[in-house]
Amino acid sequence: MTDQWVTFSKFGDAELVSLTGEIDLANAGDIGHAIVARINEAGKVLIDLTTVSFLDSAGVRLLDALVGDLLVHGTRTRLVVGERGAARMTLRLCAFREDILTTDLERAAAELT
Amino acid sequence: MTQELRLPWDDDPDDLYEHAPCGYLTTLPDGTIVKVNQTFLAWTGYTRGELVGHRRFRDLLSSGGQIFHETHYAPLLRMQDEVHELAFDMVCADSSTLPTLINSVLSRGPAKEPRAIRTTVFNATERRSYENELLDARKFAEDSERRVKVLQEIVADLAAAPTEAEVAEAVVRAPESAFGAASSSIYLVDQERDLVVAVSSTDPTTGDWEDMPRSSPRAVARVAERGDLHVVGSLTEAKRHFPDLVDNMRRSGRNTVVLLPLTTGPTDEHAGAETLGVLAFSFTGERKLSDGELRVVRLLGQQAGQALDRARLYDDLRRREERAIFLARTTRVLDELHRLVPRARRLVERAVPEIADWARLRLAIGTPGILEDAGGPAPDATLLAQAEQRASVACVPVFPQPGDALDCVVLPLTARGRVLGTLSMRMAPDRRGAEAERIFLIDLADRAGLALENARLYEQERQIARTLQRSLLAGELPGGDPRFALETHYQAAGQDLEVGGDWFDAFLINPDRLAVVVGDVVGRGIDAATTMGQLRSAIRALAGDGVGPARLIEGLDRFVERVETGHMATVAYAEVDLVTGELTYSCAGHLPPLLQAPMGPPEFLLDGRSAALGSKAGDTRRTEHRVPLPAGSRLLLYTDGLIERRTRPIDKGFELLSREFARRRDSPLPGLTGGLADLLVGRDHADDVCLLCLSLGSEERMERSLGADRSHIALLRAELRAWLVAHGIEPETRDAVLLACSEAVANAIEHGYRDDPFGQINVVATVTGDAVEVRVADHGTWQGAVADVARGRGLQLIRESMDQVLIDRGEGTIVTMRRSRETPI
Repeated sequence: MTDQWVTFSKFGDAELVSLTGEIDLANAGDIGHAIVARINEAGKVLIDLTTVSFLDSAGVRLLDALVGDLLVHGTRTRLVVGERGAARMTLRLCAFREDILTTDLERAAAELT
Repeated sequence: MTQELRLPWDDDPDDLYEHAPCGYLTTLPDGTIVKVNQTFLAWTGYTRGELVGHRRFRDLLSSGGQIFHETHYAPLLRMQDEVHELAFDMVCADSSTLPTLINSVLSRGPAKEPRAIRTTVFNATERRSYENELLDARKFAEDSERRVKVLQEIVADLAAAPTEAEVAEAVVRAPESAFGAASSSIYLVDQERDLVVAVSSTDPTTGDWEDMPRSSPRAVARVAERGDLHVVGSLTEAKRHFPDLVDNMRRSGRNTVVLLPLTTGPTDEHAGAETLGVLAFSFTGERKLSDGELRVVRLLGQQAGQALDRARLYDDLRRREERAIFLARTTRVLDELHRLVPRARRLVERAVPEIADWARLRLAIGTPGILEDAGGPAPDATLLAQAEQRASVACVPVFPQPGDALDCVVLPLTARGRVLGTLSMRMAPDRRGAEAERIFLIDLADRAGLALENARLYEQERQIARTLQRSLLAGELPGGDPRFALETHYQAAGQDLEVGGDWFDAFLINPDRLAVVVGDVVGRGIDAATTMGQLRSAIRALAGDGVGPARLIEGLDRFVERVETGHMATVAYAEVDLVTGELTYSCAGHLPPLLQAPMGPPEFLLDGRSAALGSKAGDTRRTEHRVPLPAGSRLLLYTDGLIERRTRPIDKGFELLSREFARRRDSPLPGLTGGLADLLVGRDHADDVCLLCLSLGSEERMERSLGADRSHIALLRAELRAWLVAHGIEPETRDAVLLACSEAVANAIEHGYRDDPFGQINVVATVTGDAVEVRVADHGTWQGAVADVARGRGLQLIRESMDQVLIDRGEGTIVTMRRSRETPI
């Protein structure tokens, strides 16, 4: 169902969640369920948003809830998002926590170790 | 007169009398013997003294002879003076009888008074025994005639008995009528199961009714084994040779038992004769069977054996015929379905219940393979899996042996040397002629394998054709030019049909001239897909500056002269001058394009028409027609699958298409063609559907209305994005406007139409020299929108990304947003 927007893999010892395409009110809920079902037990999570071409408030809500849950469970996490682009714009407009945003996957992984 | 020859020795007359080759008696008229010769004395053992003067001729006769003497001999002699060839039995001195023939002559005196009787006696011993033999022979002939008659009746019955059971019934009645037997029973040899089975009896209280192995020591099994007739003449004989008979004989009061093997040929020619059964019959009292009877008994055995053989062949034939019909029907019904899974399903449904009570087909085709079950209960899964494995690896059928835990046959299904899978079935345990059954099952497996392989190849070809078609249709269409936008839709036929030859294409002839095509090749499958690809390429090759639609289609006519499969293909071809907005089009046998100008109702473009490609009978003078396309026009090309339906006249189809196209004039272009296809043909349609919609010119003002459905937001965004790009809006402003517009529409759906899934949202976007303005209007009520934290974030985003935001709540809500151009965020 959500395979076109979200895929899972490993980056080092971290679970890598790669999001792509347009994330909006129509698909954010399903994507959220797919991610939660997958990263339940992970110790480190990287969420890659570099190829997300659109992110709306529902997408922000999803990321907000996700990061909140992970932090509560002590899971260390980073969001990878480009310097520019739609996703960065939306996150910036929402004043998303800058401390967990990174522009580079390598660096994000390094920050978690 | 002949003169007497003189003998070389002296013939003494006395000696001649005494030792003549016949007896001589001379008696007085009252029969008293007065003279007798030596020959007579020697034959009868009397002395001369015992006879002469002491006995009368009649005293020497048997009692019957004496009566005959009184009634015939004496009167005849007295009347005729002589008698000839009268048969008398003489009673000899030792009381034995001597069969004789008598001639007598009565001699008379001068006064004609009887004086003496002269009698010659001929020894008739030989002659009499010969006569007896004749009588015996006649009796024998009569007896055997009676038996033969009985036998003939039985043979006639046997000939009319088509089954083993009926043969057995006819045979078991024979011994009573032919030989006077008290009762009889028949046993048949079951070679497949290695048993001798009792099947019928005239007196079921006698005999033993349990099946016995052919190797059993019991009398019936022994006789079946040896193939020889056995007559057990008495209890004593039974005790010695077949002790198992004794109890039964005693109990049922039988003294003689005949055990007759039923053989396919004479039993003395063991080589070719097969014993198919045993007929046992018994007599009360010790009954000796004559040679003649024994011959008939043997003959009965052969006749019955041959009848059984015939019945078995007939049974086999009938069974084979049933099987052949089953195989033929199965092949036929499998052929009716082309696709693999339905064909697999039908195979197990054929097997159950007609030949099996449970069947499973497992095919190692694709992942995870195909599994079809029918009937039940299913056997043990582990044992079955092992048998399936064995059958697949060795490629030999697994037949259950008596006592096997798995009572199923497992047949490997092969085709072209490859094992496709297995067919497992549990069949009735009946199975006489199991060998024939095996041949049948192997035949079934062969046919099923072939049918499934063909279905697999069909799937494969279908897949190839689909892939080919998809890859051809998936080619890059021109885009990124703000002067036009394209939307296409291809929908394959439902109902498991092969791919059709519908296609669309769009390409730029030069930077200012766009060509759009929709076409339809006759036929289906890989040929149609290939031809479609060829025509598509041919059109791209033929198109050029100054060619135009009519000449291009003339070129296609020449092309299909060489590509036979392209005959009667239809094409709608149009070129658009992106500078002047002029459309030039031509339709070769294709349905007319539908044009929706920004104002007014849509119209079908009915000019520029001619016959299908390569048409012999149609008008192939290719023409083209020009119409101006105002900015904001939409042109729809489509194939006949869109409007032709069996349940609806084509006029209705045109009418419906026109109406629905008009109704969607304000809908976002993305999703438009798919929506039309859904509405006009639905899911289960018999033809492929292909649509291409060209939207021309960028409207200064984009007006769209969409339903309260979350999935529509992305469609609107796509079109708005293209529209913004067409107006040269810089990326940051574009993204900000897209975000704000999305949030506003989301708010309308989430709040305005929370309780109304059919609500409409109107979006109007305008571009001016210094700003972009978007207005989103709904007719719902934004209850608690601002209080909702989530939606609050949406409103916050709108405010953050736009320069000015006005929210007007009256009859519904209107959000007006404006953002200045070239303003960095």
